[in-house]
Amino acid sequence: MTDNDGLYRRDVLKAGGAAAALGLGGGEFLQGLAERGDETAASKRDPGIESYVGQNDVIQTVCSPNCRGKCPIDVHVRDGQVKKVEPHPPEDEQYKRACVLGLSHTQRVYDPTRLKYPMKRTDWSPDEPNPDGRGPDAEFERVSWDEALDLVADKMQSLKADFGPESVLFHVGFGNYGQSGQAFSRLASLFGSTQPASTIDTNVGRGFNRVTGTGFYLPSTNESEDWENANTIIVWGSDIFSSQFQMDASKVLDAVENGAKLVVVDPVYTTTASKADLWLPVKPGKDVHLALAMMHTVFEDGTYDEQFLRKRTTGPALVRKDTGTLLKSSTVFEDGSDDKVVAVEQGSNTPVELEPETDGPYALFGEYTVDGIECETALTRLRDHVADYAPSKVAEQTGVDAENIRTAVRWLATRGPGGIAPSYALGRYKHGHIFGQTYAMLMGLTGDYGQHGNIHAHHSGGATLSTGGWSTPEDADPGPSVRFSDYPDAMIDGDPHKIRAAYSIESNMMGNQFPDRQRFREAIKSLEMYVVADMHHTDTVQHADIILPVPHWFEQEDIVSSWGSHPHISYRHKVQEPMWEARDDYYAIRGLAERLGFGDYFPETKRELLRELASRDDAIDFETLSEQGTQKKQNIPIVKFTDAFPTDTGRIKMYDDDAPSEEGVTFDLPRPLEDRTADDYEKADEYPLMFMQKHSRFRIHSQYEMLNWVREVNPEPQLDIHPSDAKARGIEDGQYVRVYNDRGEMIVKAKYNEAFQPGLVNTDQGWWSRDYLKGHHNDLTHNEVSEIGQTMSFYDVRVAVEPAPDDLDTEKYETDNPRGTGAETSRAGGD
Amino acid sequence: MTNYGLVIDQERCIGCQACAVSCKQENNVPMGQFWNRVLTEGGDKIDTPSGGYPEDGGSGSLDMQYQPTACQHCENAPCVKVCPVNATYTRDDGIVEIDYDKCIGCRYCMAACPYNARVFNWDEPDHMPEEGTGDVAARPQGVVEKCTFCSHRVDEGLDPACVVNCPADARIFGDLDDEGSTVSKYINEYETDQLLEDRGTNPKTHYISGEMSPGRPQTSDKMESELDDVSPWSDGSEDVPAEASESDSSGSGGSHHSIEGDAAPHVPAVGSGGDD
Repeated sequence: MTDNDGLYRRDVLKAGGAAAALGLGGGEFLQGLAERGDETAASKRDPGIESYVGQNDVIQTVCSPNCRGKCPIDVHVRDGQVKKVEPHPPEDEQYKRACVLGLSHTQRVYDPTRLKYPMKRTDWSPDEPNPDGRGPDAEFERVSWDEALDLVADKMQSLKADFGPESVLFHVGFGNYGQSGQAFSRLASLFGSTQPASTIDTNVGRGFNRVTGTGFYLPSTNESEDWENANTIIVWGSDIFSSQFQMDASKVLDAVENGAKLVVVDPVYTTTASKADLWLPVKPGKDVHLALAMMHTVFEDGTYDEQFLRKRTTGPALVRKDTGTLLKSSTVFEDGSDDKVVAVEQGSNTPVELEPETDGPYALFGEYTVDGIECETALTRLRDHVADYAPSKVAEQTGVDAENIRTAVRWLATRGPGGIAPSYALGRYKHGHIFGQTYAMLMGLTGDYGQHGNIHAHHSGGATLSTGGWSTPEDADPGPSVRFSDYPDAMIDGDPHKIRAAYSIESNMMGNQFPDRQRFREAIKSLEMYVVADMHHTDTVQHADIILPVPHWFEQEDIVSSWGSHPHISYRHKVQEPMWEARDDYYAIRGLAERLGFGDYFPETKRELLRELASRDDAIDFETLSEQGTQKKQNIPIVKFTDAFPTDTGRIKMYDDDAPSEEGVTFDLPRPLEDRTADDYEKADEYPLMFMQKHSRFRIHSQYEMLNWVREVNPEPQLDIHPSDAKARGIEDGQYVRVYNDRGEMIVKAKYNEAFQPGLVNTDQGWWSRDYLKGHHNDLTHNEVSEIGQTMSFYDVRVAVEPAPDDLDTEKYETDNPRGTGAETSRAGGD
Repeated sequence: MTNYGLVIDQERCIGCQACAVSCKQENNVPMGQFWNRVLTEGGDKIDTPSGGYPEDGGSGSLDMQYQPTACQHCENAPCVKVCPVNATYTRDDGIVEIDYDKCIGCRYCMAACPYNARVFNWDEPDHMPEEGTGDVAARPQGVVEKCTFCSHRVDEGLDPACVVNCPADARIFGDLDDEGSTVSKYINEYETDQLLEDRGTNPKTHYISGEMSPGRPQTSDKMESELDDVSPWSDGSEDVPAEASESDSSGSGGSHHSIEGDAAPHVPAVGSGGDD
């Protein structure tokens, strides 16, 4: 951009222009903002005051999206306006944090996309939903809160009477780490509605769980204050300095400064890779091969941790050669147990039962006959299995130099405690659970559990408010769960049962974030009622029948959990009263509860709700929390995995004789299985490029899309593409391209980027429809999930790329305009 | 005498843009302008490396680093010399500032500044939110503006906004004339560069590149000189600096990014408008 383009900013950002941009029926929709703007203009600076430094009211609160920050912040307010945001050190001051997004909240609080009033789709009624009226062209009219809640409650009651309560879905996303979701789930339980089951980012954790007994999302790991003790950190498939650990960057940097080796395994030369001592440029989908090669090296070098293997793993456990099952203690000893397994003592070959957390002179390798049964140790099986994966053998397949594979794992195995910090990205490949299994076992070999300096995930555990099952009252009869990925089947085809209405909070998933977006939009069209509560006019909101406006976080009182972030619970003090008619989700939930006959189950005010929930957590005191703003949960262990593992044997499974199978592959030992990254994938020629959607520093999922300060740095969606891939298609740097496959297309600007491996392209996730010239990145992704991993595989996607058609209207992004003059005339709000 | 300076540890900087946005917020920097830009030292575009993607599975030649760049507050500031109306001047504490009432918008200073640190209000400045923080003087159309080291905060004993808000502890502000200050210690102990040293401007912004420093963790927005203890949860001065503890690193992979001390500091092309 140039210096003299200030003009367009005013054109774009003044409330009047933006109202037209929203494409909404009801011109009054944005009137509130315009009025507010007038007030602003009226209160000019006091000419006697040079600087308001130190003059503002400062309210401590907390930023609350689904990121790894949960940053306690100070909000500066003057004349009834939010002026500035700064980080506020929490109780344990070393967790001071904030990022470019949280620091820009003044842009979000007053953005024209804020929802102001309850709205109803003009052509919707409970009896005649007119599904075709949904979508980009839908128009809305203002209704009162009572009207909106009456309509929703009446429809829910009639569906319950006709089709059962499970015909209504209560969908909650992750867009707000406050406690309203608890009340939402409580009402869902009482009503008996269908409830959501997450199929996002559970892949790697499920695999890790098969080995260690823990993990659903990524496993817990040592709190970040301990990371400086790591001697080797292998960041695997994660740009943690951009998207996950950004707020705790200082912790990783401190480790590096202390002398830790930082290894980054990634097909992309990321910001994190640029800080690494060693970068392994793995090909997409070959991570399991690579980890098996690392195991190979550990066996070959003999650098496995013998004591750890004997004490905390089933490495010494005997596997029967006849059945492939572990030899049970009950088979060998009269008083033995079916749960216990057996090893032999080195030298004497005497069989002994393996107890959890118990060291002994157990043989780690070899073949033994016990009671006439021929056996070999689990570790022998693993060693023989990985014999096929020598670094030199997998180098070409994985794209990683063999000696660098050895170097990376030698650092992990020989430099003292360290760890592997994998990401959710690995789980965004269909069979990502196998990686979870593999690295859990690799760290079992190197003995990296339970010590200072161990790392098991790319974000730490953090603290969650323990509410002791409040969301499921004892006398409730909760309905069934349906997985995110199965929503379309349920809504369209009635499989496993027909969902006829949905009430959604804290989520922009259906319209923006779920893969195969057009399929989810079809699913919405099959509903009789779609109720969406949100802070902003998102793509999902544009598809709603009833819109419930939620205030900005600064206008809601709440208690915020810091899961995956830091070990504090934070109090979200209200900075200002809700603007317009926006109301806390709890207002709507309680209002519906009253109408549905469950009013008595819900405290009258949000404050009372928070008191009730806080009282259920022994580590939290409501008054202390409210007063301090943050309270460190003292019962959160800094070092994880110090006790017996929650597996049958209390030990890490180095061999899984009860393993699931998938597509003919059994996971008793880690075995690579690929979907679209496979070299022989059937449509690889048709769609030759793998397509990922990296999480950038400029977005938390689809939140913060509207920050104008940030958009000056990061103006529009782009396609990161290696110059060789671009040139082969006649694509110039900065040219608009059409990215397509058999599901859909999008048009974005090509960005030559040597950081991206040839054959791999990327568009950062989190953009809204209005940001694309055509289509959307989730029109390209698919909704197939592995039955074991049960996770949407956003990155396991293939596309083709070609120059965009000549007749493309690029006005939106012309003349280096971050938000675009075109935004004024296009129907930018909903689609 | 007090002589304020800034140390930026590029080994710690993660290019997150928190400093750029904090600056914009604190100083009501107009839309379309930045006083503090996080430049990518590498490829031509933001967040892209130089070099080529490795074809042999090795670590290759790719290289990328971030260089936050604002007014360097030169000891020997060319902008001060060329200003025909003495609107740009150096304060007693070394901060280079502009008197907006005197500025006639001739932009000689922009031509003189080798760091492209200044921006000009061609139009009536546009802010979001409209009134901004009110912490700093308003600048009208037709004047030049730039980083002030947040002198309005410094005068109150507070660190510049960009320093307080850095999540990587990569920015350290303090008195270069105080030998005990962290900035002085780091300049003595680490390999630091000033941008375009051959111009003789003697900038008061120093960049660490090569060996990483411990940075300066902050739990307060107060300047170091206002605090009893520099690093609240470390050992204070004992924390500075640590010798690299290992030299056994490389194997065949080794460190893949250039850490030679003679790497030329990256300066953006003059004339790009100061807001890329």
